[in-house]
Amino acid sequence: MLSLTTGLLPLLLAGLLAWTGATKALGPDVVRTAPKTALARLLSSSERAVLVLRATGWAELLLAGALLAAPGSALPGAATAVLGAGFLGYLGYGRARAPQASCGCSASEDTPVTGRSFARAALVLAGGLTAAGAHRTWWDALGDRPVASAVVLAVGALVLFALSADLDRRLLLPLRRTRLRVFGHPLTGRGGARQVPVAASVELLENSLAWHTTSPVVRSALLDHWDSDGWRVLHYSGVHGEGEAARPVAVLFALDATAGRDTPGDPVIRVSYVDADTGAPVAAEELRAAPARRSLRLVE
Amino acid sequence: MNARNTTGVPSEGMRRRRFLTAAALGGATIVGASALGGLDADAAFAAEPSLDPAIARSSFVEGRITGITGSVLEVAGSSGGHARVQMTNVTSVWKVRPTTADVIEVGDGLYARGVPMPDGTVAADAVWVNIVNLDTTIRGIAKNRVHLAHGQHEVVGNILADTGASYAGRGLTSDLSRLRIGQSAQVLGAWRPSDDSVDVVRISVGH
Amino acid sequence: MACGSTSLWAGETSWFCCGNSWGPCGSAGGGACGNCQSSAHHGAWPNASAACFSITRPDLCGENIPRRGCGSVMNVRHQCSGATVCITITDCGPRTKDWCGEATCCNGACRTNRVLDLTPAAFSAIGNLSSGKLPVYIYE
Repeated sequence: MLSLTTGLLPLLLAGLLAWTGATKALGPDVVRTAPKTALARLLSSSERAVLVLRATGWAELLLAGALLAAPGSALPGAATAVLGAGFLGYLGYGRARAPQASCGCSASEDTPVTGRSFARAALVLAGGLTAAGAHRTWWDALGDRPVASAVVLAVGALVLFALSADLDRRLLLPLRRTRLRVFGHPLTGRGGARQVPVAASVELLENSLAWHTTSPVVRSALLDHWDSDGWRVLHYSGVHGEGEAARPVAVLFALDATAGRDTPGDPVIRVSYVDADTGAPVAAEELRAAPARRSLRLVE
Repeated sequence: MNARNTTGVPSEGMRRRRFLTAAALGGATIVGASALGGLDADAAFAAEPSLDPAIARSSFVEGRITGITGSVLEVAGSSGGHARVQMTNVTSVWKVRPTTADVIEVGDGLYARGVPMPDGTVAADAVWVNIVNLDTTIRGIAKNRVHLAHGQHEVVGNILADTGASYAGRGLTSDLSRLRIGQSAQVLGAWRPSDDSVDVVRISVGH
Repeated sequence: MACGSTSLWAGETSWFCCGNSWGPCGSAGGGACGNCQSSAHHGAWPNASAACFSITRPDLCGENIPRRGCGSVMNVRHQCSGATVCITITDCGPRTKDWCGEATCCNGACRTNRVLDLTPAAFSAIGNLSSGKLPVYIYE
């Protein structure tokens, strides 16, 4: 079994290199993904990164061809091992210097460098070394035990596929999407879907003239909220006045409990300050003096 | 609607809300300071004349809560350093939703805005506990959770009864049925230190 | 460089975490410039470099945002409240192209497209973190 596997290894390696090489050398995604690779950081240029990725792609295609055509020779295997070692070094650098960058390994992926990238590069190195030392050609192995060969090739292809970061996108996500299509969206028809969330009321308030008017006073974020007779009351705390006249106040907003940002018409928001110590209304005149609607200057 | 309504609000709290509702609707009649209940400034607040609005610059505190001593949170900054955050009864607390200081636990992450005090503490105006705002991609959707990719990490997002969604910049809605696998999503939520998942408060997706 | 008052841009800002942090933010790293910190008044700009621009692509939303590299200083003003914070650009972001046309308004005057990301320190100096995003004017 071992000799069969080593005999078929050049075929598997050639398949992997042909796939990754073709996406790098010919794929349209290289230009889009190159800036995100660790290579772009290493070379300080997206353009140079594209050139290097393209050149590496062609080298991989060449190696794939050599592995297929001359499996008896040690040279393609040795060159593949060197390539694998180079990949490992590059991935190590990328992991250390730019952990958020992608490896650019198959050019169509933009996921960061992960253990899978390392495992795949290590396989290329180990596979190259084994292929360099093998004396059997892959067609001999295929011819001798065709059924076993097919099994080995299928398992090998599965391993390589599992080590591919593209796996999630190509298999898992479409599978999950199909499941949603067949069984329906799991988040449909949740209870209370017609109610306006409190955060939507806060959003409406913070985009309103009322917020603008009270901003010199409000200091806290939302302290408390409750609904009462169709009104939603939003409670903030703040300080009104300056120096000796400064008073801690409760800042209260009341707005339609069913209104959100997309509700047509101007929202009506009632505002009041209440002295935190005495409960007396503060600056009622000042608030009433605020215009009901005022255009804000766009740029100063 | 409000979680604290359903979990039993002390009658003092209800009275305070009734009073404040009347004030908010413009029909406020003064019934005396005693009716204010918990709204009265506590001793800490009253004793701090430095809480003057003339202090225009707010301080910011970031880190993990290492201890809670009375109404003071001991905070270890993520980049080193240590801060003491003084909570008052006018400090707003956010932990998944607007709430009160008694839900804050040791080990929680915190961002706080406040005013520096002469004793070295920061009197907090607002604290946000465990809040995160993540740039993610939706990788899976289930009944009670969404699976998210954040950078190179997988994050489990727990769907809550009041989780809201915003589609293409529209206002917030509680309809989550238009979320799609593969979409980029901004997730505002609260990190759970116990299992490293995130309670999703608001999920926004683009066009 | 000090924060100036020459109008540069206007749009939405969101917030993000970077540098040493807790929770899912712990892995965020120092950002594109290497020195981003959640507790400092820092920000992320969609055109911090050519590589950055190719990720954020604000041009796809019709925003020809000018290049402002690491270390650029900007004054960010909340459109609704006027609260202002002075920030230094230390990262690349947000991914403007994902949010084309998204608008945040103040009393009917709207700002469209996400053109800035602020650290929690900077965002909370002009608004509330639980709001998630704000309409802003940006000066330099």
